[in-house]
Amino acid sequence: MTTQPIVQLQNISKTIRGKQLIQQLNIDLYPGQITGFLGPNGAGKTTTIRMMTGLMHPTEGNVIIDGLSLKDNYEEAISKVGVIVENPEMYKFMTGYKNLLHFARMHKNVTKERIEEVVKQVGLEKRIHEKVSTYSLGMRQRLGLAQALLHRPKFLILDEPTNGLDPAGIREFRMYLRKIAAEDGVSVFVSSHLLSEIELMCDRVAVIQNGKLIDIRDINVETSSFYYIEATPNDQAAALLQKLDYNFVTENNGYVVEIKKEDIPKLIMQFVNEGIQLFAVQPHQKTLEDQFLEMTGGGQIAEANSK
Amino acid sequence: MVALVILFIIGPGIMLKYFDTKITEDITWQESEQQAINNNKEFMNEDNISVEDKKYFEEQIAISEYRLANNVPSQVDGSVESFMSLTGGMLTLVTLFTVITAASIVSSEFSTGTIKMLLTRPVSRAKILTSKLLTTFIFGLLLFVVNVVVSALVGLILFGGSTGVELEMVNGQIVEKAVWNDLAYHYLLSGGSFVMSILFAFLVGSVFRSSSLAIGLTMFLSFTGGMIVMFLSRFKIVKYIWLTHSDLTQYEKGNFIIDGMTMPFSLTILAIYAVIFLVISYMTFMKRDVTA
Repeated sequence: MTTQPIVQLQNISKTIRGKQLIQQLNIDLYPGQITGFLGPNGAGKTTTIRMMTGLMHPTEGNVIIDGLSLKDNYEEAISKVGVIVENPEMYKFMTGYKNLLHFARMHKNVTKERIEEVVKQVGLEKRIHEKVSTYSLGMRQRLGLAQALLHRPKFLILDEPTNGLDPAGIREFRMYLRKIAAEDGVSVFVSSHLLSEIELMCDRVAVIQNGKLIDIRDINVETSSFYYIEATPNDQAAALLQKLDYNFVTENNGYVVEIKKEDIPKLIMQFVNEGIQLFAVQPHQKTLEDQFLEMTGGGQIAEANSK
Repeated sequence: MVALVILFIIGPGIMLKYFDTKITEDITWQESEQQAINNNKEFMNEDNISVEDKKYFEEQIAISEYRLANNVPSQVDGSVESFMSLTGGMLTLVTLFTVITAASIVSSEFSTGTIKMLLTRPVSRAKILTSKLLTTFIFGLLLFVVNVVVSALVGLILFGGSTGVELEMVNGQIVEKAVWNDLAYHYLLSGGSFVMSILFAFLVGSVFRSSSLAIGLTMFLSFTGGMIVMFLSRFKIVKYIWLTHSDLTQYEKGNFIIDGMTMPFSLTILAIYAVIFLVISYMTFMKRDVTA
C-alpha cells in the first residue's frame, strides 16, 4: 500500500486495575478501505474502538488520525471521525430530525441541506419527524448511521453496525459503505461478530485476541487452492491420495485436498484407473469463519462447508 | 417544572384569598389600632411577664400610637408585599427542581448511553461539562424569575397593591419597614444554599453517575444539615464545613447556628467549597473512561 494511512494506532496499551486489556496494538488503516475487526468475546474489540474514538484514554501509545494525535489535538482529530459505538443511543424524547440537528450543531459546517441529504441517504425521510421512541431498532440503526455521516468523516468507525437491520437494510448498508469508501475515499473500520457479513463487506480483516493483534490480512486472496473430492470406496481413495503425496483432510464423506487446478484432470484419471467411483470434485474455499477459528484457535479446526 | 412552580404559587394565593377569610369588622383602622393599644396594655399589666415580652408590647404600643398620631394606616392582611414574602418560601421548590436538573443533567446521559454520542463530537469534555453547568444555572435562574414574577402578578391580581405601611422599631426609632429591600436581601441570601446545593448535586451526579443518589444526598444534607452542624458544634472543625454557612439567611434573622460567624468568613468558606466541588466534577468527568 503506497498511500498514507489515515488512522494509525501506535503501540496502544490499556491497563485497567492491573489487568492489561490491550497490549501494544499497532494497526494502520488506509483511505478507501473497509477493514473488518474480529475477535472472540472479551478480546478487546470494544476497548480498542473506544480508545480510537476518545471515549477511553490509552494507558500507553497514541492514536493518530489524519496526522493529528487524539491525545493532543482532540477536537480537530475527532472532527474527522464518524462513530457508531454499539447501539446508537439517541435522545428518545426528541424527533430523529431534532437529534440530528443537535449533533450537527456540535460540528462545524453542517448545513440543514446536508442533514436532509443524509436523511435521504439512510432512507428515513418518511419518519424523521417522529420521536425516536417510536422507532424500531433498525430505524435507530439508520439514524445512528446518519449522525455518523453528517460531517462527511474521513474515517468511519462502526461497532456492530448491522445489528437489528433487516436483510434488505444490511444489503443497502453494505452497498452504501462500499460506495463511500470507493467514491469519497473514506476509511471504514467495522467490528462485527457476523463473520459472513464482514466477509462480504471488507477488504481486510484485523483479528485480535487477548488484547493482541494476531493477524491482519486481505480477504479473498487464497494462498493455496483446495478441492473437495468425494469418492468410494473411502479407504482406497485415501490410500491413493497418500501415495500421490497430497495434503488432505477428511470431511463429511470426502476429502479436502490441497491441489493446484491444473493437476485436477490428472488426479481424476488416476482415480478412474484405480476403479474408484468419483461423485464430486469441486473447488473448496475456506470461509472466513474457518480462517477465524484457525487463527484464534477456537476449538477444533474444522474445514466446514465446502463452497 | 415551570408549570409546577406557577401552580405552587397560584394555589396558596387562591387559598389565602378565598378560604382564609377574616372576620371583617365594621370599624375604622383608627379604632382597631386603639383596640390593639388597649389589649397590649392589658397584657403588660399581667403578672410574671418576661422582659422580652414586655419590650415587644412596648414597641407595639409605640408603633400603634405613632400610627394614630401621624395618620399612617397599617397594612391590611394580603397585599402584594405580604404575599411575596410568603412565596419567598417557595424558593425551596425552585432549589429542589434545580437540584433535580443538576443531578440528572450529566448522569442521565450515562444511563441512557447518549454520553458516547456526545463525547465523540469535536467538542472537548471540559466544554461539554461547562455547558451542562451553565444550562443548569440558567434553568435555575429561569425558575427563580418565574417564581418572582408570578408571585408579584398573582399578589397584584388577588390582593391588589399595598394598602398601608409596615412600621418597625429600630434603635428606639419608629421607621418604615423597607419591605422590598428586605425581600431582595432575602432572595440574595437564599442564593447561598441555592448555589451550594446545585454544585453539590452536580458533583455527585457527575462523579457517581446516579441522579437518584445525587438528589437524595443533596436533599438529605439540606434537611439534616442543621442537625449535623449542631452535632459537630463541639468541635472546632464545624466552622470549616460548608453546611454551617450555606444557609446565609442566618444573617437576616441574626440567629446563628454557631457563634462568631461573619459574612466575609462564610462567603470565603462557601467559595472554597464551590471551587473544590467544581474541580472534582471536572477532573472525574475529563479523566473518565466511558463504558456506557
